[in-house]
Amino acid sequence: MSCFITGYGSALPERVVTNAELAPMLGVTPDWIEANSGILERRWVEAHQAASDLAVAAVRDALNDADTRAEDVDYLIACTLSPDYQVPGIAPLVQQKLEGCPGVPAIDLRVGCAAILYSLQLARGLIESRAANTVVCFGAEAQSKGLDLHSRSADLSMLFGDGAGAVVVSGESKMPDKTREYLVRVDDILIETDGNFAEDLIVRAPGTANGARWLDAEQLAAGWHHGSMQGRTVILQAVRKLSDAADHILVRNGLSPGQVDLVIPHQANANLLAALARKLCIVSDRVVMNVDRLGNTSCASAFLALSQAHKEGRISPGSRLLILAFGAGFTWGAALCRAV
Amino acid sequence: MLTEGLMSFLDQAATEARTELPDRNSSLFQSGVLDSFTLVDFVTLLEAECNIKIDDADLRPENFDTIAKVEDFITRTRGAQ
Repeated sequence: MSCFITGYGSALPERVVTNAELAPMLGVTPDWIEANSGILERRWVEAHQAASDLAVAAVRDALNDADTRAEDVDYLIACTLSPDYQVPGIAPLVQQKLEGCPGVPAIDLRVGCAAILYSLQLARGLIESRAANTVVCFGAEAQSKGLDLHSRSADLSMLFGDGAGAVVVSGESKMPDKTREYLVRVDDILIETDGNFAEDLIVRAPGTANGARWLDAEQLAAGWHHGSMQGRTVILQAVRKLSDAADHILVRNGLSPGQVDLVIPHQANANLLAALARKLCIVSDRVVMNVDRLGNTSCASAFLALSQAHKEGRISPGSRLLILAFGAGFTWGAALCRAV
Repeated sequence: MLTEGLMSFLDQAATEARTELPDRNSSLFQSGVLDSFTLVDFVTLLEAECNIKIDDADLRPENFDTIAKVEDFITRTRGAQ
């Protein structure tokens, strides 16, 4: 049984934070941020906005695009690194705000920036097992609220932006409306995890591995509630693991990189994406990019890039799409899709 | 000794970073010759030039911090393969 992406949604906060605004907070220059990340600006939420607010807007946008009612949704799968609360996850909050689908299972996946791949894999399994027919997968971040805005964390805090993206996944190959020329069929997904690198990209607190209390004054003083990253290790491993995943999924489907029309990667850092494109021998104009305008939106980023490709008309019947994502854990993988 | 291709890469990286190649026991990272992204290209070239496949578990920046460490790493990896 096949499954199809029938709708795409996105939501961004209005506030634009340029490098000129951010750089003084981090003790660096705007040029340094651009040179080390390719990022020119990012969006940040306002104080009253939470990740679930962005998520529900993106989900509504995707449902509208799929011409699907909330009442027809069988499952909600959420991904975020910046939840509204420690408990519960954001999926129940989105279900409540969405209205129309009370009672449907709503779960959070904690898989870092590989969110789109893990949620699509789960959606596909649910559809193939007939546990669901319509699944909404989404990633949402309000991670600007958790950034360490000091020079000691400049290399990490320069990266992140807020936003949400969503897709509607269906077991039915029904076009949403007469103007739509394609559905995107999910043909193959390859996902992997390597816990040996769990501490190379981490937010330690609150956490039960931290001693007697999961959050205390000492941990706060040490900045354990902020993210920390072994940047060189992350970049080395990300390029290796993503290029290997791309090779494996293409080979097992009898394809070469030259037969991929559009690469939709997690938007970690423009320099990383350029290194990945070089390693895969894929020309950069076939790589969907938004990191320059949105920064690294973590769980939302590949959803946003896919939605962007759809809305900009970069997908057409016959297009082969390769989705690549990598995140904390490490988690990573690839998905191969075809517009039909 | 590193291959001519690897030394040429490091010389070029040093030129682009407007610095000098450090001695074999000094850090390529702290000197500015290698950054996170040139390191990716350096490792890709190293695998091709030395005909080795670096295991993911060994893909750690500390193995490539100095010319001496890179030489040791190549020797160890070749021995294991």
